[in-house]
Amino acid sequence: MDDLDRRILHALQHDFPLEEHPYEVIAAGLGSPAERLIERVRRLLDDGVIRRIGVSFDSRKLGFPSTLCAVRVAAERVERAAEFIGRYPEVTHSYLRDHPFNIWFTLITSSQERITEILQEIAAALDLAPADVLNLPMKTVFKLDARFDAQTLRPAGGDSR
Amino acid sequence: MHLTATQRRVLQVLQNGMPTTLTPYQDMARQVGITTDELLDLLRKWRQEGVLRRVGAVVNHFRLGLDAGAMVVWNIPPRRLHETGRLFAGFEQVSHAYERMTTEHWPYNLYTMVHGQTHEEVRRIVEAMAAAAGASDYQTLRTERELKKAPPTYVAQ
Repeated sequence: MDDLDRRILHALQHDFPLEEHPYEVIAAGLGSPAERLIERVRRLLDDGVIRRIGVSFDSRKLGFPSTLCAVRVAAERVERAAEFIGRYPEVTHSYLRDHPFNIWFTLITSSQERITEILQEIAAALDLAPADVLNLPMKTVFKLDARFDAQTLRPAGGDSR
Repeated sequence: MHLTATQRRVLQVLQNGMPTTLTPYQDMARQVGITTDELLDLLRKWRQEGVLRRVGAVVNHFRLGLDAGAMVVWNIPPRRLHETGRLFAGFEQVSHAYERMTTEHWPYNLYTMVHGQTHEEVRRIVEAMAAAAGASDYQTLRTERELKKAPPTYVAQ
């Protein structure tokens, strides 16, 4: 990754224009032609540095409830549990963590009832007791900023609320 | 929020990301069956209303060298929770800081995602956060592996 890549990553994370020709606008700011820019962007996508370019919504404001959940599963059952949980399209993130509650995942669903239903299905399929499942809905957002600075290796900051 | 049929169609097209073309909005508008201006106007309206949070690249921070991450869960006295949440939000290595509901056996009410290049670096940041907040009841849950990361599906394909 060279300096242009880092500047591209910064521009793409911060001010992706809502304009008919967004790459022309970014390219002008970078002093590099749009065709060269998009070639780099495709490479960064291929390399997996960029997961996707898209629009992120506030799910709650769209009317989709979300929550953070965790399950406590035996070490030898982690792979099967992760696979089962990951199959739900409503599961958007899932992480293995070094804690008795070892699988943590977020649910974004069409209704509260669906959250309950999915957690019941997971508990049944993995043979979990109620105490082995956590459902931790969010109450307040103090910060949400998943932008990362390729230069400083820090979350890019500036979006706290 | 009530979504119109067109808005649902927009979500359906947009939820998996933009095409990597020089005219992504035009290409997506064509897929939805509306004009580019109609799509851009709707997205600008959603941005104003806070429905649209951000447009742009979602970067894989693991690939940038931020290999060490942890979720730190904190049990903060309720009267100090908002002050502490804002304090943690001010740490540049913290990407997310949320208040969450507690349960009978899980008393942690404040959640932070902390990023660093090494676990040692993350440990030092967490200690600095604890010292700044005067917090002693917390647990660091290291990220061992990403099992899944996918954009939300708002409308079935």
